[in-house]
Amino acid sequence: MRSTRETPDRVPLSAVMWAALTIGLAPSCKPGLSAPMGSEHGDDAPPHRGGILHLAEIGNVRNLDPAGSVDGVSLQPVHLIFAGLVDFDEHAKIVPDLAESWDVRDQGRTYRFVLRPGTVMHDGQELTAEDVKRSAERALHPSAPNPSASLFDGIVGFDAFTAGQAAHIEGVGVEGRYVVRFELKDPDATFLALVAMSALRPVCKTGGWRSSDAWIPCGAGPFRLQPGGWARGTSLRLVRHEAYFRPGLPLLDGVEWTFNMQVLAQRFRFEAGDLDLVRDLSQADERRFSADPRWVPFGQADADTTVYGESMNTRMPPFDNIEVRRAVASGINREHYRLLKPASITVMTQLIPPGIPGFDPSVEGQHYDYGVALEHMRKAGYPYDPVSGHGGWPLPIEYPLYDQGLPVFTAQLLQQDLAKIGLRIELKLVSWEAFIALQERPSGAALSLGNWAMDYPDPSSFFDPLFTTRAIGPEGGHNTAFYSNPQFDDLVSQAHRERRENQRRALYARANAILCDEAPWAFTFSHHFYTLRQPYVRGGVIHPVWRMDATKTWLDRAGRSLEQVLGRGLP
Amino acid sequence: MLAARKSRLFRNPSARAGALVVATLVAFAIFGPTLSRHGPNDSDFVHGLSLDKAPVGPCALFPLGADRLCRDVLARLSWGARLSLLIACAATFVSATLGAVVGVVSGWLEGARVRTPWPALLGVFGGVIALGLGKPLAACLAFAAGCAGTFVARSGGLRIDIDGALMRLVDVLLAFPFLLLLMAIGAALERTTVLTLLLTLGVTGWLGIARLLRARTMQVRALEYVEASRALGQSTPGILLNHVLPNVLGPLVVASTFLLAQMIVADSILSYLGVGLSPPAPTWGRMLLEGQDEYLTAPWLVIAPGAAILLSVWGFNLLGEGFRDALDPRNA
Repeated sequence: MRSTRETPDRVPLSAVMWAALTIGLAPSCKPGLSAPMGSEHGDDAPPHRGGILHLAEIGNVRNLDPAGSVDGVSLQPVHLIFAGLVDFDEHAKIVPDLAESWDVRDQGRTYRFVLRPGTVMHDGQELTAEDVKRSAERALHPSAPNPSASLFDGIVGFDAFTAGQAAHIEGVGVEGRYVVRFELKDPDATFLALVAMSALRPVCKTGGWRSSDAWIPCGAGPFRLQPGGWARGTSLRLVRHEAYFRPGLPLLDGVEWTFNMQVLAQRFRFEAGDLDLVRDLSQADERRFSADPRWVPFGQADADTTVYGESMNTRMPPFDNIEVRRAVASGINREHYRLLKPASITVMTQLIPPGIPGFDPSVEGQHYDYGVALEHMRKAGYPYDPVSGHGGWPLPIEYPLYDQGLPVFTAQLLQQDLAKIGLRIELKLVSWEAFIALQERPSGAALSLGNWAMDYPDPSSFFDPLFTTRAIGPEGGHNTAFYSNPQFDDLVSQAHRERRENQRRALYARANAILCDEAPWAFTFSHHFYTLRQPYVRGGVIHPVWRMDATKTWLDRAGRSLEQVLGRGLP
Repeated sequence: MLAARKSRLFRNPSARAGALVVATLVAFAIFGPTLSRHGPNDSDFVHGLSLDKAPVGPCALFPLGADRLCRDVLARLSWGARLSLLIACAATFVSATLGAVVGVVSGWLEGARVRTPWPALLGVFGGVIALGLGKPLAACLAFAAGCAGTFVARSGGLRIDIDGALMRLVDVLLAFPFLLLLMAIGAALERTTVLTLLLTLGVTGWLGIARLLRARTMQVRALEYVEASRALGQSTPGILLNHVLPNVLGPLVVASTFLLAQMIVADSILSYLGVGLSPPAPTWGRMLLEGQDEYLTAPWLVIAPGAAILLSVWGFNLLGEGFRDALDPRNA
């Protein structure tokens, strides 16, 4: 007797399998890219208000506190919620924002900012100089999760305040209702840029003092957080601040992000018109869009203003041995990294990326030389024989990494390269939070991926936070190599005080040479984004520092066709 | 009887097709790596790139194409088959053993109240704690030590309903979604290795088998010859080994075969979600994840591991169906 269930079970199963295979194969037969979606009006049409700008990120916003936001994803909404005394314009030049003017006195030691009267914050209160002072002290208070606090240690009274010896920062003063004064110990050519960063941006008094999950993001920027508009890990919705100090702006009703969206999903939703702008494109898609004449006018590659490298903890073996670090710097074939995304990766052999003033392409820096790498391993006392595979550092080296985008691929290339010089790397997948915790702890990670994007277009934006001794914190500093070199610190300090541009660049060039030689990082590449927008996104949205700025953006979307609504493939 | 079952098995189309697919899979796992000229983790940037600097598609040197790191997909797929089969088989063995012990003991003791087997209870308790701490090896050891201790240590104290307690434990564990439970344990592990992965899968996958064998044991227990054995004074372990176990082996084999397919899927899902083996381990789930962004331009990166998962699951399911039909007494 045969089971009656046998035949009916098997036929549908096979059918389902073949259907799955067909569906899997179908996309490869798909025709070219969708056409860009049209605008409703001509190029000379005046801007009009309304609409929501829809964006997506493969990452997530982890913090909306300007005192604690350091990643590129978080800084975009933070910039829209919190306006600064000064800001970067679309050419990365510093321009007035909440301060209508400023003056520099005392040979560069005093900065006075005059606020715009009548600026209304999101809680309806008027912005005053007291708010600026309170916000600065909140951001620099030891209890704030501000890994960039050390950048402001040039302010008079910073040390006493952070040590808990003073209730206020002596160098931040208030002159009347609308004038705030910053006094510095020494002249600092980068101070205005530091003020333009997110950390010191005024926050509402009603938002509270402590940075916590309950803290309410409230500032004076063009958009405010919609109540209940932040579903952590999922989405964020900002709405127009009607009382924004610039009349008529912003034009959009709001900006909405969806987080943790895979690259492929972003691309499909962009083509379907559900996203107005896309940045996280795969290598293949970037190549296709940038080669399609219909899309070329709407794509824009950022400048190379990021640096990636392999950060070696100089306090942990074997990287406390300078020769091992030099071996790593010479043993990485950076060209292989570039091949992962040839259109958006530039090989780096030094700290300063090509998009930053002061970049010198003639600097040889670190470069791949297998023979030299083996020689450095020999000098380190760990000679390695590539033929027999004997020698090298005897223990495996754990390499923590988070499972997102490029790092997974670069880590595997690194593993292959370092195995050839006698360093055995064991990759360990961890969450982003665990990765940061491991990297910023002195004994957390011997080797890990380091990356940094500019806060402002100046070499100091890279040298100060990544490699100076003052950037080493017990927990939470950005100097993940825990590198400390008095000579290097001195050069960086001199560059800060120096106001002659040529002299500054010469000092940074010397500091750069020290880093390339002592190799706390093996510099590997710079990665830029290729941003693609639909034609109806107008008024400018891409920003050189904040990645995007929707203050003047407006939407001019034509009605969607039936085909667009229902999807392609209609007869 | 055995010959008849064998005959039914060999005549069964499902079993034949399943056996063919599984045999092919095993052969691929054993001999596949020898078909490739590359190691699974070796990049070949000289031959693995096309003229436009993209990974090459299927060609003589890379029969299934190259991935983003210019590694041979065939080599990775075949090494992945070894990993998947090893993990799935070992995890299924752990699950089947646990499920059989719990199911048979529970079914045999159904309706009876026995002296508290403290060593076993302590073993289960320790195992659950170890599992919660992300130490599946310690969990298995604790559980095994507890079971072994029950045979040598005296039970005593309160009389308890072992069957009720075990089935409530199964109810509680079944209340957790299987994959969620797996991911939670996977996330708690300090480092995911083949051993921890197979043990994690093994100690979370036995619940269905326990339920099934409990029901079957209760049926067998009521058979006349079993009662006769008891009346003749045969010991309980003797009856379980000689009479109960042979009668529950059929369902156990069928359920285990289906479980193998589930384990392959679970292993792939864990790798896909990033809580499986760390790169560069060539797991099929990981290959799927790393290739998905390029599937419009390099479809072989997802088709190869996707088809491998699909076919292997299909094969084990067909084989399971064949076993089910062959071992079903109603088909005799």
